[in-house]
Amino acid sequence: MDRETPRKFATTPGTRDVLPPESTRLLDVQSRIRERFRLFGFREVLTPALEYSEVIEEHGLRDASYKLFDQDNQMLLLRPEMTTPIARVVAQRLAGSPGPHKLSYVLPAYRRASVGRGQSAELYQAGVEVVGSASPREDAATIALLVDVLQSLGLKAPSDFAVVLGQSAFYSGYLRHVVPEAATPVAAALAAKDLVAVDALANGLPADAAAGVRGIPRLVGPATEGSVLEEAARFVVGEEARAALENLREILRHLEAHGALGAVILDLGLTGRHDYYTGAVYEAYASGLGFTIANGGRYDNLLKRFGNEMPATGFAIYLERLLSVLPEEGPRPLLVLVGGDVGGVETAADLRENGVPLLHLSEDLPPQAAAEYARSIDAPWISYPATGGVKLATADPPGEFAFMSPESVARMVLP
Amino acid sequence: MSGLRVAVPKGAIFDDALTALEGAGLPADVIRQNGRRLVYREGGTEFIVSRPSDVPVFVEYGAADVGIVGKDVLEEHAFNVVELRDLGTGRCRMILAAPEKRAEDVRRAIEHAEVVRVATKFPDTARRYFERMGRQAEIIELHGSIELAPLVGLAECIVDLTATGTTLRENDLIVLDEISTSTARLICNRGAYRLRHQEISALADAMEGSSAPVG
Repeated sequence: MDRETPRKFATTPGTRDVLPPESTRLLDVQSRIRERFRLFGFREVLTPALEYSEVIEEHGLRDASYKLFDQDNQMLLLRPEMTTPIARVVAQRLAGSPGPHKLSYVLPAYRRASVGRGQSAELYQAGVEVVGSASPREDAATIALLVDVLQSLGLKAPSDFAVVLGQSAFYSGYLRHVVPEAATPVAAALAAKDLVAVDALANGLPADAAAGVRGIPRLVGPATEGSVLEEAARFVVGEEARAALENLREILRHLEAHGALGAVILDLGLTGRHDYYTGAVYEAYASGLGFTIANGGRYDNLLKRFGNEMPATGFAIYLERLLSVLPEEGPRPLLVLVGGDVGGVETAADLRENGVPLLHLSEDLPPQAAAEYARSIDAPWISYPATGGVKLATADPPGEFAFMSPESVARMVLP
Repeated sequence: MSGLRVAVPKGAIFDDALTALEGAGLPADVIRQNGRRLVYREGGTEFIVSRPSDVPVFVEYGAADVGIVGKDVLEEHAFNVVELRDLGTGRCRMILAAPEKRAEDVRRAIEHAEVVRVATKFPDTARRYFERMGRQAEIIELHGSIELAPLVGLAECIVDLTATGTTLRENDLIVLDEISTSTARLICNRGAYRLRHQEISALADAMEGSSAPVG
């Protein structure tokens, strides 16, 4: 009878080992994102994976967190996201220095995954937070950075992706002004994305109030067309909704200057997945993928809890989901150099000197075995040391060997 | 209005779903014509046919842009999809039922907050129902013929969906309470809702015309 592999030798539900070539792609995307973040002046921070459970206040996130107890019997959790830890960092460590604090991170977060729903328990994220500025220009700048990052990775707007932008204070301001008693149930129905329930609640309201309750969540369209804002202007009542729309206009004015307006779709029914969003809120979608690849928004009340009232805005990109929509890339240049004793070592050094990425196998494998090995690690080339250079062949399909100097190998192998 | 992928549920609301789609100008008749396929393409629209409980899964993942499904399925699992329109068709009730002879015993047991055994295809809905009332239940999840459970002593009562009540009557079960009512809904992937808003809202508006009056 076959012995079953003990269950505890598998990875825990929702987690996985990431192997090449996927790990290479993930690390590459991380370093390209870091490059863009740095280019915009963001400074990267690392925070502990473990936080006191009190740090995360939001119910949804607390419920989704892995929890454990420390030696003092305090409840800890594995960070379910990065925005709150960064808010904590700024409030505790940077309160004395002048803002705005522009911080970035490239770290995994942890959430209890519902098995069978295709969610990861370990989510690789990259994101930025701008803490200490209430200006809508910073909202626009972070949205523009998100667009820049996605474009720099090869995605095109609006055919491959779009950033859907809303203003959570517009609808809530309208509701509080027009139908204060119905504001909570209507907002809850919209948060559940249940437009049928929104309509049902609207049916019980006076006709002019019902028009906005029904109509505002349905205002969706490209930001380059003015129609969504014009329609929204018809529903402006009260100071809160007026300010929210003005805020949205200012963001759009700056997005245009950033050259990012074409990637933006307005949706005045978008209120954001986290309760802590207070104003501008956005989600990035890629065509053909049902889930968000990034989300973000303004959270002006989150830092208050850590004893330092500061407005803030930022976004997080879900890297695994992003990877699934990025264009495939061919294998990277890599040469397997086989054997050759100390001569092989010298040849390897010579080739690396010429910039050729090279894996030296010290054992003398025959060509067929060498080609098989090269294919298993996605190396397109195999070679053997020869006087003044190498004998080089393709690994897949196995090709004819030809003599080449280190310089011509570099020309051949590098893109 | 083309290029959408539409998930259509097999079973009780299948015919109404096709009628509603046709009413909105989609060539859904192609599904009626050849019975057993899973994917149909016609005039740029793609239809996929699946179990009702799987429709929101296809839609949530973006494997389908829109779909038609009963509210009962949406209430059982919290799918992250946009609920666009009540089609008014496929009306049925989620009920608590027990065998006629023992109905009074079950009613009393629930009243006294005793633990009752409930068989159901909708464990989450049943659990929420009992929690809301502050009553206790041991929930046994089954996948078919729920009515059988109280007849053979597996459970004292059932939480199930009924349209006409015929099956309940045939098995001498009576309704103790109505938990909710359900109708067919047009749902939509939240990415597609924004990226393809024009086509999808046009479809939702066209379906409003075909929906039955509420009441």
